[in-house]
Amino acid sequence: MKKRTVWGKWWYKFSRNPLSVVGLCMVCAIVFVALFAPWVAPYPEHAGPYVNYGEANQPPSLPHPFGTDAFGRDILSRVFFAFRSSLLMGMVVLAIVVPVGVTLGLVAGYFKESWLDILIMRITDIFLSVPPLILALAITSVLKPNLTNAMIAVSVMWWPWYTRLVYGMATSLRNEYFVQSAELLGASKFHILFREILPNCVSTILTKMTLDMGWVILIGAALSFVGLGEQPPKPALGTMVSDGARYLPEYWWMAVFPGLAIMLIVLGFNLLGDGIGDLFSLEEA
Amino acid sequence: MRGKWLVFCFALVFLAGSVAFAQSQKIVRFTEAWPTYLDPAVGNDFSSSVSLANLYDTLVFPTYDGEIVPHLATSWEVSEDHLTYTFHLRQGVKFHNGEELKAEDVVFSMERLLAIGQGYSYIFKPIIDKVEAVDDYTVRFTLKKPFGPFLYALVRLYVLNKDEVLAHAEKTGEYGEYGDYGMNWLLTHDAGSGPYMVKEMKMEEYLHAVRFPDYWKPFDANAPDEFKFIGTTETATVRTLVKKRELEISDFRQPAEFYDAVSKIEGIKVAKLFGGSTFYCMMHTQKPPTDDVHFRRALAYIVDYDAIANQIFPGARQAQGPVSFILPGHNPEVYQYKRNIEKAKEELAQSKYANELDKYPVDLVWCAEVPDEEKVALLIQSNASELGITVNVIKTPWMKIMEEVAKPETTANMYLIFVSPHYAEAGSMLQSKYHSSSAGTWEQTEWLQDKELDQMTEDAIATVNDEERFAKYRKIQDYVVDLCPSLFLIDQPENYAYQDAYIDWIPAERAEKGEKVNPVMGYNHYMPDIKVYPEKRDELLRK
Repeated sequence: MKKRTVWGKWWYKFSRNPLSVVGLCMVCAIVFVALFAPWVAPYPEHAGPYVNYGEANQPPSLPHPFGTDAFGRDILSRVFFAFRSSLLMGMVVLAIVVPVGVTLGLVAGYFKESWLDILIMRITDIFLSVPPLILALAITSVLKPNLTNAMIAVSVMWWPWYTRLVYGMATSLRNEYFVQSAELLGASKFHILFREILPNCVSTILTKMTLDMGWVILIGAALSFVGLGEQPPKPALGTMVSDGARYLPEYWWMAVFPGLAIMLIVLGFNLLGDGIGDLFSLEEA
Repeated sequence: MRGKWLVFCFALVFLAGSVAFAQSQKIVRFTEAWPTYLDPAVGNDFSSSVSLANLYDTLVFPTYDGEIVPHLATSWEVSEDHLTYTFHLRQGVKFHNGEELKAEDVVFSMERLLAIGQGYSYIFKPIIDKVEAVDDYTVRFTLKKPFGPFLYALVRLYVLNKDEVLAHAEKTGEYGEYGDYGMNWLLTHDAGSGPYMVKEMKMEEYLHAVRFPDYWKPFDANAPDEFKFIGTTETATVRTLVKKRELEISDFRQPAEFYDAVSKIEGIKVAKLFGGSTFYCMMHTQKPPTDDVHFRRALAYIVDYDAIANQIFPGARQAQGPVSFILPGHNPEVYQYKRNIEKAKEELAQSKYANELDKYPVDLVWCAEVPDEEKVALLIQSNASELGITVNVIKTPWMKIMEEVAKPETTANMYLIFVSPHYAEAGSMLQSKYHSSSAGTWEQTEWLQDKELDQMTEDAIATVNDEERFAKYRKIQDYVVDLCPSLFLIDQPENYAYQDAYIDWIPAERAEKGEKVNPVMGYNHYMPDIKVYPEKRDELLRK
């Protein structure tokens, strides 16, 4: 009974901003079509090694709501499947980046002004000083272009942001009374870092994660736009936009719909992220 | 008030422009990618070949049927051992500056070509021993070894005026007593005897040439008085020029949408000329799994050739064997692989890789600069998947392709590449595609080291009698098709939009009737053969 009221309270706070609800719906819809793409997509085989030049360059119509591409493949089906690699990219990258970045930030922040702090934060600074897309481009072009390497590349450029964020919070939290009392009670460093300091950072990290999801997907699309992401025939939103751009303006649907799909997914996660941010800031207030 | 004046001035300029318009001249204008080299020892690409064909004369001349006829040379003799060719020159032929063309000019032209070593010199370098002027009107070539297609090759020996070139040669240069061999001057001038002569050459912009009034051959009354080669292939520009009737023949590098759009304009047609270039999917014959002939044949039977010839490259035709159907020496009876899933499965079953296909994915490389190749790559991938063969499609820039095909270890299983003959004859294609010596170049990524085939090719090329030589070529084509080192995808046409309403363009008419066009690059743009009707153009403009 009590639990439900907590959820109810959260939902009330979250839904106070209708845009957050819109974001949530968009994300849910995208996750749904991505998960069930083989059943939802009208032509699931078009996401694989399939070509049919007799059907190429068809404008949007009832059987092909987004039209077909220069290979005669249904763009709608390919967008659904492309969501899969985009979401996978976002999730895997965050799953790698958050633990690494957060741990380093906690350690550096807690041991402020020790050699550990200097070592970790200067390396972080070096990574932050290289323009992120350039770094990712450099990495993917040295490695073989595919989705896994694109994920590695984005992860390599993304962790320093979490380190910076958590470092800032940890340096201020380490002087709080609850940390000092834990120290006096002889708690282990591990306990202090992960049981005392970390829980106080969670809301900020979570908000950043939701917002980052959109950005990671965007960077992933940029990499596939230049041909360094998922390789054909597997669909990727960025590749679809760059392929379609060759046929602008006559065959506009080839670039416009995948472009809109990128916009939707990024917008959805941003709105959701804002909503989650509101939730925690209200909670604390 | 000032505004009104400005409008008036503009109107005046416009009026002047339209008056100039009204007096149409007999001119043929065409577009093509810059650069163009007027120097016969330097140029060998498309636009250079067009320019050379019109500014210079050659000993022999290529016809639309792919035959070689007398031109500057009125007759010739070949020695018993096929090593000496003696040509008798036409008398009274004048260069553009009025001097007479003599045997020593021919000798000079060949020596200069070999010394500079660019342009079409690669055809002659391995075979020419020496050239000498017997008298003013007789020239003798001595070959190092018998070379059957020698006459076909000679259409690439453009005769320069020795005195004029040397008079304009700069003193300092890498060619000793000849200084720079006149290379700098020939960038923007010609020293030829051809039907047209350079009036103005504006680098990076255009070449403007006018009729040579003292040409030894009479002109047709409607042959163009002048031609202008415009150095652009920018689609929007070309489209506008065609529409305003300021361009008679477009280049062939435009996207399909361009040809669609302009063919709807009144009086404009699109000609599809087959130039002898063939589109191959080359297969590495030393790397698993494409080292297995049955595996290769399985692929040859599974590819949907119709989709490539009709949908991806509309107007192309499925290649029949390794030599374009337009080239002299092509074998019209050679076996042609057609899509047949049953046969593909049969062949695959005989392959040693049949039971472990998953262990042998095939890498298929396409050239990043030619976007349409991706369509073919994905088609092959899709077709191959029907047999359970995994094809990885890889996009690679041209520079990197040339690098990786230099060594067998770095060469991928399959490459999609267009290849054109060096001279218009089957032998050129067979040698540059399948002779051991060409392995490691972009023309042969098959790494075919077949001694028997080398022997057959060398023997054929050394055969002087055309019929015997062609019979040998036909046998080689059978042999190659059976070996199946490449997928012979399509013979590729060059598409030109042209002003059908007011020019007669022989190759376009022949192509429409299904006849062959000139297989020698550049000669379908031989201006004396084009007829222009300015009054018909004016009529169109008035509408």
